[in-house]
Amino acid sequence: MEPLIKMVGITKDFPGVRALDNISFDILPGEVHVLIGENGAGKSTLMKILSGVYTPTSGKIICNGHEYDALTTKTSYDEGIAIVYQELSVINELSILENLFVGKLPTKKVCGIPVVDYKLMNEKAKVVLEQVGIHHDPNTLVGDLAIPEKQLCEIAKALVSGAKVIVLDEPTTSLTTSEVENLHNLIRNLKAQGCGIVYISHKMSELHQIGDRITVLKDGGYVGTYPVEDITIDELVALMVGREISGTYLAEEGYDPETQPVIFEAQGISRADGTCKNISFQLHKGEILGFAGLVGAGRTETMEAIFGAVPKSAGKVFLNGKELNIKSPYTAIKQGLGMLTENRRETGFANNFSCKSNISLIPFIKTSSAGGIGGLLNTADEQRWAEEQRDSLNIKCTSVDQMTVDLSGGNQQKVILGKWMAAQSEVLIFDEPTKGIDVGSKSEIYLLMRRLANEGKGVLMVSSEQTELLSVCDRIAVFRGGELQEILSSAEATEEKIVKISTNE
Amino acid sequence: MSDSKEKKSLNFGTIWQRYGTIGILLLILIALAIIKPSAIFTSTSIPQILKQSSVNILLALGEFFAILLGYIDLSVSATCGLTGMIAALCMTSLGLPWVLACIIGVLSGTLIGAINGTLINKTGLHPFIITLGTQTIYFGVMLVISNSQNVYGFPSQFSSVMSMEFFGILPFSACIALAAAVILWFVTTKTKLGRNLYALGGNREAAWYSGINVQLHQLIVYMISGTCAGLAGIVLIGRLNAAAPTAGTGYETYAIAATIIGGTSFFGGVGKIPGVVVGGLIIGIINYGMTVLMIESSYQKIVMGALIIISVTIDHFVSVSSKK
Repeated sequence: MEPLIKMVGITKDFPGVRALDNISFDILPGEVHVLIGENGAGKSTLMKILSGVYTPTSGKIICNGHEYDALTTKTSYDEGIAIVYQELSVINELSILENLFVGKLPTKKVCGIPVVDYKLMNEKAKVVLEQVGIHHDPNTLVGDLAIPEKQLCEIAKALVSGAKVIVLDEPTTSLTTSEVENLHNLIRNLKAQGCGIVYISHKMSELHQIGDRITVLKDGGYVGTYPVEDITIDELVALMVGREISGTYLAEEGYDPETQPVIFEAQGISRADGTCKNISFQLHKGEILGFAGLVGAGRTETMEAIFGAVPKSAGKVFLNGKELNIKSPYTAIKQGLGMLTENRRETGFANNFSCKSNISLIPFIKTSSAGGIGGLLNTADEQRWAEEQRDSLNIKCTSVDQMTVDLSGGNQQKVILGKWMAAQSEVLIFDEPTKGIDVGSKSEIYLLMRRLANEGKGVLMVSSEQTELLSVCDRIAVFRGGELQEILSSAEATEEKIVKISTNE
Repeated sequence: MSDSKEKKSLNFGTIWQRYGTIGILLLILIALAIIKPSAIFTSTSIPQILKQSSVNILLALGEFFAILLGYIDLSVSATCGLTGMIAALCMTSLGLPWVLACIIGVLSGTLIGAINGTLINKTGLHPFIITLGTQTIYFGVMLVISNSQNVYGFPSQFSSVMSMEFFGILPFSACIALAAAVILWFVTTKTKLGRNLYALGGNREAAWYSGINVQLHQLIVYMISGTCAGLAGIVLIGRLNAAAPTAGTGYETYAIAATIIGGTSFFGGVGKIPGVVVGGLIIGIINYGMTVLMIESSYQKIVMGALIIISVTIDHFVSVSSKK
C-alpha cells in the first residue's frame, strides 16, 4: 500500500543539540500509527516538521507523490495534514461553526461583494459534527463546551479541511474512560474511511486497543517500528527508557498508616462556590494519600482551598498538631506547604525564567520578609539550590541557566518539583503530577514521592489515573460531587471499586 | 558545542539583543555629528542633552515597572505635571522651604501612584483604562489648583541648585535621574521584590501559586512609577523655572517609547534598567538634535513614532527567528 506520507532520514539540529537524528516515519491509509517515546525523545519535533512549523536540517518528506525538503504550514495544510495538539487551539470566543472554518471561511458573492457563505458552512458542519458526535447547535460558543467536546471540535475542524492525515497529540490525557471509548470509536470510523492517524500517547494501556503499528523514538533517535500484536507493553517500555521499570512504588511490606502519627490534617474544608463541601482527612507519617474521582469532583478545588490559592469558606488545616493560618499561597508556603499544580504551563513556572530562577523562586519567597518583598537575592544560594535539584532530580538541561520553557514536559515538571524541594516543604500536594509526561519520568516522580514520604514529609496526590494511584498510594480518598465519599486502604482499593464510588453506579 | 557558540556570537539577533539600544544611540550621535558637528562638539552640548533627557529617563524608569508587569501607566505625564505644580505652589503661595516643597512634591507622586495601584487592584480593570482615566483627572486637578495660571517666582536657592552642573558636564537633574536608575537597577537585579516582579510579568498565575502577592506587587509598581514621575515633576519645574498648568502633556508617549526602545517587552517579564536609561537618552537626543537642526516639533513626532515602530519590529523578528 502506498503511504499517505513518508518522512525519510529526517534530522533536525537546534543550536547545540540534535533533536532528531535520521528518523524515518510513514503513515498508511486506514491505519493508526502510534508514536511513543519519553519526553524529549523528539515526538513533538517530528510532528512540528510534519505540520511545517520546523524546517528539518536534512531529510525528505513525500506526500501524495510530491517530494519536499521542508513543508510550510501552508503546504502541510494543502497536503491534508492536520494536527490536534494537546493544548487545544480552538477559539473560545467563536461558535463551533466559526471554529470549524476559522481562517478558511467559504464565501459567496452578493452583488459582486464576497460575503461569508453561512449556508454552505452549516451544511458541511452538519456532516462532520454528526460524524465526530457533537450534538450541540453549531452556533454554540466553543467556550461553553467541555474539554472533550472541544477536542472533538478540533478533529471536526481537521475533517472539514479534508485532512487525510490526522495527528492526535496525547488526545486522552484529560478524558474519562467513557470519553476515551467514544474517541477510539471515532478513530476507528476515520480509519475505515481511509484516513491515516498518528497517535501520540504516554498511556501504554491504550496502545493495544487502538494502534496498528508502533514507532518508538529515544533521545531523538529511531528505535524501531513494530506491528502492535508483536510487542508487549513491557517490551515497549524497555525500548523507550532502555531499562526495566518496576510496577509498584508502595511502602514496604507491613507498613500500616493507621498506626503512625498524624502529620497533616484537614478539617471540614469548604468553599463558597460549593465545589468542595466539608472535606476532612488525616495524613499519617510515611504515607502517600491519593485522591481519586472524576474531573470536577472537587479534588483540585479542595487542594486549592487548603493551599490558600482560593479562599475557603470554612475549615481548618493542621500540621503536626498545630493549626495553620493560611490566607494565601504565600502564607501556606511560609508554613511549610507546597503545591504542584495541574496545569504546569499556566500555573507551574515563569516562562521568562531560566531553570535556576524558577527553582530559586520558592526558596527565596520562603526566606523573604514583609509579605514576600523583603530581602536580597543570594546568587550563591541560588546556584547551589539549582544544581542540587538538577542533580537529585536528574533534570536534563544544558545548564541551569537554560530557559525552562525550552525543556521537555517531563523536565519542566522536574523543575517545578525542584522549586518545592529546594524550599524544603513539609507537605506537598501533587495535582496530576504525571499528566502528559513519559513513563521514565513518571517512575522517577513516583520514586521521589515515596522517598519524601519515607523521610517523613506529607505527600498528597491527586490523579485521574487509577492505575497510578493504586501503584503509588497507601490510602485513596474517593471524591464525588464535591464531597469525600470514602477513604480506601490499599488492601481494599481496586479500580472497579474506585469507579463505582466516583460514579455512584 | 563550541562551534555553535561561535556561530551564536556572530548572529545578528544576539548582537541586536545585547547592543541594539546602544547601537541606535551611537548611530544617532554619529549622524548628528556629521550633519552638524557644532551640535555635539561644544562644551554646552552634553549638559544640554542630559538636561533634556532627565525627565524622559525618570518617567521611563517608572513606566518600565508597569510594562514589566505586562501593564501600562498612562498617568505618568499628568503625575509629573501635577507633582511639579504641587511643589511649585508649596514654594510660592504657601511659602514653604524649597526642600520641604520638593519632598511634598515627590511624595504626592508616590501617593498618586498608590491611588492608581489601589484602583487597579480593587476594580480588577485593565491598567490602561484606569490610568487613562486618572491621567485626565490629574490634568484636571492641575488646572484647578493652579487656576490655569503659570506659577513662577521660586526661591533663588531652588533655582540655583536645579541649575547646578558638576564638573561642567553633569547637571543636577541628570544626577537625580542617575541616582534613581541606580537604586531601581539594584531593586530589579538584587532584591527579591525585583525577582518577583519579573516572575509576575512572565506568568501571573504561576507567580500567585509560588507565593507572590499579586496585588501587593501591583501596588508597589504603581507607587514606584508615581514616585519617579514626582521626581520628574521637580526636575521639570527646575529646568523651566516655572510650573505650567498643562505641563507634562504627551510625556507618557515618550516614557513608553523610551521603555520599549530600551528593550523592554510589551508583554511583560523582560527588560533591564540600563536599557531604559539608554532609551530615555535616545529620546532626549532626538529632541535635542532636531531642536538644534531647527526642525519643527511636528516633525520630531514623526521621527519618534517611526523609531518606535522600527526598533520594536526588529526586536520582534529577532525573537521570532531565534525560536525557530
